[in-house]
Amino acid sequence: MQNIFYNDMQFSVKPRGERWDITYSLPNGSSAIAGAGLFAGLPESEAGARALALIKTIFPVGIKTVGPDVTHPNTIGDLKIIGPDVTHPNFIYWNKDSVSCPREL
Amino acid sequence: MEIKGSVALVTGGGNGIGEAVVKHLAKHGAKVAVVDMVQKNIDRVVKDIKEMGGEAVGIQANVTSEADTARYIKGTIEAFGQLNIAVSCAGIIRDGMMLTLDKETGKVSRKLGLDKWQAVLDTNLTGTFLTMRDAAEAMVNGGWEGLLVPISSVNKIGQVGQINYSSAKVADALMPKIIVGEFLMRGIRNIRCVAIAPGYTATPMLTGMNQEALKAILEDVHLGRLVAPEEIASLIGHCIENQALNATTIEITGGLCYPKGIAK
Ligand SMILES: NC(=O)c1ccc[n+]([C@@H]2O[C@H](COP(=O)([O-])OP(=O)(O)OC[C@H]3O[C@@H](n4cnc5c(N)ncnc54)[C@H](O)[C@@H]3O)[C@@H](O)[C@H]2O)c1
Repeated sequence: MQNIFYNDMQFSVKPRGERWDITYSLPNGSSAIAGAGLFAGLPESEAGARALALIKTIFPVGIKTVGPDVTHPNTIGDLKIIGPDVTHPNFIYWNKDSVSCPREL
Repeated sequence: MEIKGSVALVTGGGNGIGEAVVKHLAKHGAKVAVVDMVQKNIDRVVKDIKEMGGEAVGIQANVTSEADTARYIKGTIEAFGQLNIAVSCAGIIRDGMMLTLDKETGKVSRKLGLDKWQAVLDTNLTGTFLTMRDAAEAMVNGGWEGLLVPISSVNKIGQVGQINYSSAKVADALMPKIIVGEFLMRGIRNIRCVAIAPGYTATPMLTGMNQEALKAILEDVHLGRLVAPEEIASLIGHCIENQALNATTIEITGGLCYPKGIAK
């Protein structure tokens, strides 16, 4: 089994017979399947590399502007400067600040 | 083309007809890419296919986006090495009359909003075009045998209250003629195109509707019930296997008629 940490998401590449399943953790602690029964007959190292390429395609990294971020203003004295609110494209599961990119300045 | 061993991509594969199509194809040995906008539905369908012992990948995407389309075509090929079947089930309805009149004055009180027009055209027509175009591109460049399946609707004949939906679906129904004609002109012989035009089908959208309205609909269906999504899936399975089916749109309605019995 291989674990891949990518884009703040935890993936596992697990063997099932001669094929590979890719699962990923959801914020509620459960897991979902990104791919099932893939890469028949490939050894673990190749399956891991193929899985990483696939994960990068399926879950692209980037940011998306969703509006002014009123909850995280930059303050200079009494002045509040409100910047754009950005989120990952996998924002559906985004219910907490990113560990690798905290919003706190 | 055999279903077993082929690779199929189904947009709208997280629910309704699309879900039935991916499950039917996976059950018969195809490798499937489940493309949908709703991640939790993708997760459910991919889990079901895994439990059936099938091969699947789930890709969350919006079919109206050109970048997303390129991404799910690429993801499918990265997962399975090729692409043979593309079924465009992602679709929405935003019904409404073009004009609504004020009962007292007889003047127009409301017009069908451009938002309702555009959303339906974007998903049901542009989305289908992008999937068909980019799937065909991959099939031509890969040299793989292929079938393109736009999903139209029996309401392509022009349904009141659905100027947006009917306009998109009649255009979807025309695609096989144009696409296959162009393939012939370009010497592309490895890809067929067959559209499917379902009648009223038992997807969550319809089974959850007002039961009185549903009863009224069924009075005009010779079969006396809604078409099952699995029946559409099995027709698509037949289209995959029957090479003579090409450049056409097949209706599957259970015998939907106008009131007083003229078949639509
Ligand atoms: N149900 C019917 O009676 C009927 C009849 C004729 C034609 N159709 C057509 O069949 C197709 C499937 O219909 P259904 O009843 O299964 O609908 P459905 O609502 O059950 O499923 C449609 C799926 O498409 C997805 N989707 C919607 N917009 C999307 C987008 N922009 N990008 C990606 N995914 C998107 C939805 O999330 C959903 O999972 C549609 O094109 C519909 O017009 C349905």
